[in-house]
Amino acid sequence: MQIASLRSPRRRLSGALAVSAAAMLAVSGCSVANTTQGESASPDTLRIVLPQEPPTLEPCDASLTATGVVVRSNITEPLIERDPNSGDLQPKLASSWKQVEPNVWRFTTVSGVKFSNGATFDAEDAAFSIKRTFNGAIGCDVNGYVFDDSKTDVNVVDPNTVEVRTEKPDPILPLRLSFIEMVPRTTDADAKVREPIGTGPYMVDFWDSGQRIALKANPNYHGAAPQYSRAIYQWRAEGSVRAAMVTNDEADLATSLGPEDGAGDLGTAYVNNETTALRMQATDAPLDDIRVREAIDYSINRDGVVKALFQGLGKPAAELVGKGIVGYNDQLTPTPYDLGHAKKLIDEARADGVPVDRTIRLIGRTGQFPKINETIEAIQFSLSKIGLNVKIEMMDTSGQMQYQTRPFVPGSGPVLLMIMHGNQAGDTQFTLDQYMLSDGYQSTYGTAAYDKEIVAAEALTGEARQDALAKVLADEPTKIRQYAYIAHMEAVLAKSNKVDYQPNSATGDEMRLAEMTHATSQND
Amino acid sequence: MFTFLRRRMYTSLIPLIIVLFGVFFMARLTGDPTNLYLPVSATPDQRAEFAAAHGLDKPIWQQMFDYFSGVIHLDFGESLKTGQEAAGMALKAFPATLQLAFVTLLLSIIGSVIIGCWAAYRPNSLADRFSSLLSMTAASVPDFWFAITGIWVFAVVLGWLPTSGTGGVLAWVLPIATLMIRPLGVLTQVVRGAMVSALSAPYVKVARSKGAGDLRVVSHHALRNAAAPALTVAGDLAVGLINGAVVVEAIFGWPGIGKLMIDSILQRDFAVLQAAVLLTAVSIFILNIVIDAGLALLDPRVRDKATV
Repeated sequence: MQIASLRSPRRRLSGALAVSAAAMLAVSGCSVANTTQGESASPDTLRIVLPQEPPTLEPCDASLTATGVVVRSNITEPLIERDPNSGDLQPKLASSWKQVEPNVWRFTTVSGVKFSNGATFDAEDAAFSIKRTFNGAIGCDVNGYVFDDSKTDVNVVDPNTVEVRTEKPDPILPLRLSFIEMVPRTTDADAKVREPIGTGPYMVDFWDSGQRIALKANPNYHGAAPQYSRAIYQWRAEGSVRAAMVTNDEADLATSLGPEDGAGDLGTAYVNNETTALRMQATDAPLDDIRVREAIDYSINRDGVVKALFQGLGKPAAELVGKGIVGYNDQLTPTPYDLGHAKKLIDEARADGVPVDRTIRLIGRTGQFPKINETIEAIQFSLSKIGLNVKIEMMDTSGQMQYQTRPFVPGSGPVLLMIMHGNQAGDTQFTLDQYMLSDGYQSTYGTAAYDKEIVAAEALTGEARQDALAKVLADEPTKIRQYAYIAHMEAVLAKSNKVDYQPNSATGDEMRLAEMTHATSQND
Repeated sequence: MFTFLRRRMYTSLIPLIIVLFGVFFMARLTGDPTNLYLPVSATPDQRAEFAAAHGLDKPIWQQMFDYFSGVIHLDFGESLKTGQEAAGMALKAFPATLQLAFVTLLLSIIGSVIIGCWAAYRPNSLADRFSSLLSMTAASVPDFWFAITGIWVFAVVLGWLPTSGTGGVLAWVLPIATLMIRPLGVLTQVVRGAMVSALSAPYVKVARSKGAGDLRVVSHHALRNAAAPALTVAGDLAVGLINGAVVVEAIFGWPGIGKLMIDSILQRDFAVLQAAVLLTAVSIFILNIVIDAGLALLDPRVRDKATV
């Protein structure tokens, strides 16, 4: 009280103004970031905006989309690379490979390659990298995703030769190894690394957690130096903001855009390897009746969804893998939209005592793909028209994943789960093992006979393999019908006119910076 | 005065403690972080090992005890995602939010005083209508919509401002403008209402009869009396700004505490989420005390009532 009475209003006002002015100066004088726009707008710097920050840059987790898009073939490289256009395997850090015994493959490593820290790469590093991936203690994502935790023995034959022995003959082992990024033998084998060392054209410059990751050209790179000496990744959750950053010249590339995000002429649509589908939990009534599952399949208006909701970016799907994947069956046609037939199937099931009125949960993941909410609502509307009682539940990634991967939520009841599957590896086996085998990590249903058919097909090679895998895919709707396929998706990438880059089906998982060059008009 | 402040501190501590308990339990309701940090193929042993390494295998009451005993020793745990100290991450992000909130509030106060006084002094004037428009906009337009529209108009169409980020003064404009809509609208209405009452009060008429000019009447007589309700509301708005910058920070990529909270929730990074919420709650606690002290200084009736 005394304090107040001692101060005059005038002094108080001028004091407040002085404090405010000082604070304003302090605020305007200090930036919350450690660089400015000008610094990153150098012509030799690629500015890329992603939907989310990579959770890790650990190379053995590079099968995670958000990690792989930064790490793979930019910071680290594998022994063998898969050409995303042709599907062929191409030499990278291995110059050649051959199957020397039914369950033994031998890889010859290239000479003259150095890691970004100056250490020389040889077969010892290759063996270390493969073993590190199989080291269960660090829980590599690649191990489960690509190798299915199978037992593998790795030996160094000589400084340029590494041998991989598997329990059973593995006809696609080279393809699997294309997912293992090579790291120096000095890398921690018992803990994941935050900033990896690799042989790729770039190395980590800095990672300002929560804000951005900067890469710089690797001075020890064995190939031709990339045109851009630096790359800066930022992330913005909103697709419209990512698109606006490119149109406003704040970024050169923006990924994972929807058709409505406003990239305009700078947007490039491309076929990615993703396919959307409804997974039907056939272990619970009424979904345990194949007629009900068939009816659900018939009540999805795929053409309508693709035309109206995806604005034409996509194609109605008849299987879970897309064109270009070994095993893709080009003879299959999408299930037609026929509500009348669907209703008839439901009525038949009802007449046989199937509890078709039971509430079915339709679970989707918020933001999984553009217009997912509308897609799910459209499906629910159709299902209600054929007499099913469907309740929509939208969840975040972690919530939805509890329903997508084993161990599943116990007692969850009948569930229709919206999934989006991307086969990065280029062979249907990776899809079948996860999504179709009755005990697959992301599969809720199957039969012993169908499992046998899958395993038999996966043991084959060449044309026989293609034909057998294609037949497995063709048999799924008649023998199992765990899935109602919706669409093979297309993605939109916004690209500045200053950059030349042709996105491909692997771009979402592996965006090779060295393929990006200055646009011709910029060089003139 | 000190009795008043002491009493306010005691009463403010209760919500602070409730928040701490609440965030501890609610963070765990988001699910098991094992599903995020281990591959889909992780074995039960690996999952058990991960849980044990991060204390997630203990009963919930023991986890809570560990957390609170850690807080007492200023140990807030480590981030599951980065391995960094959670407190350090929160403290690093907080200044960005404070800067944003401070500038927003300051500009809102200045703007609302100018518009509110003008509107009160000249009813039905342009300023009066503008204040009504602001108020309606604040009440009806979500931050999200305003942010996206602002980006589209000022960054994409006009090219005047950057879409997001933190580099340079221009990057501040859209986040601040988005955040300002609500406090400016609310404060303008409060200032206008208080000024209308104050301008019709007898002491203002006395001042006028003594020959005081319009500016002096407004600034030295009416505004002083209108300041208390405006300050109360501004205090609440400041709390809301610190607490509610989440959407704006997420859209504009502003590396503040709100964005950190969102990221922590999505990553189930319990330690970081708890540290971020604790820091925010403590700041709001201090801010409330400061506001109460300011009110008590401005209006003796407040502290007299509180100390009776």
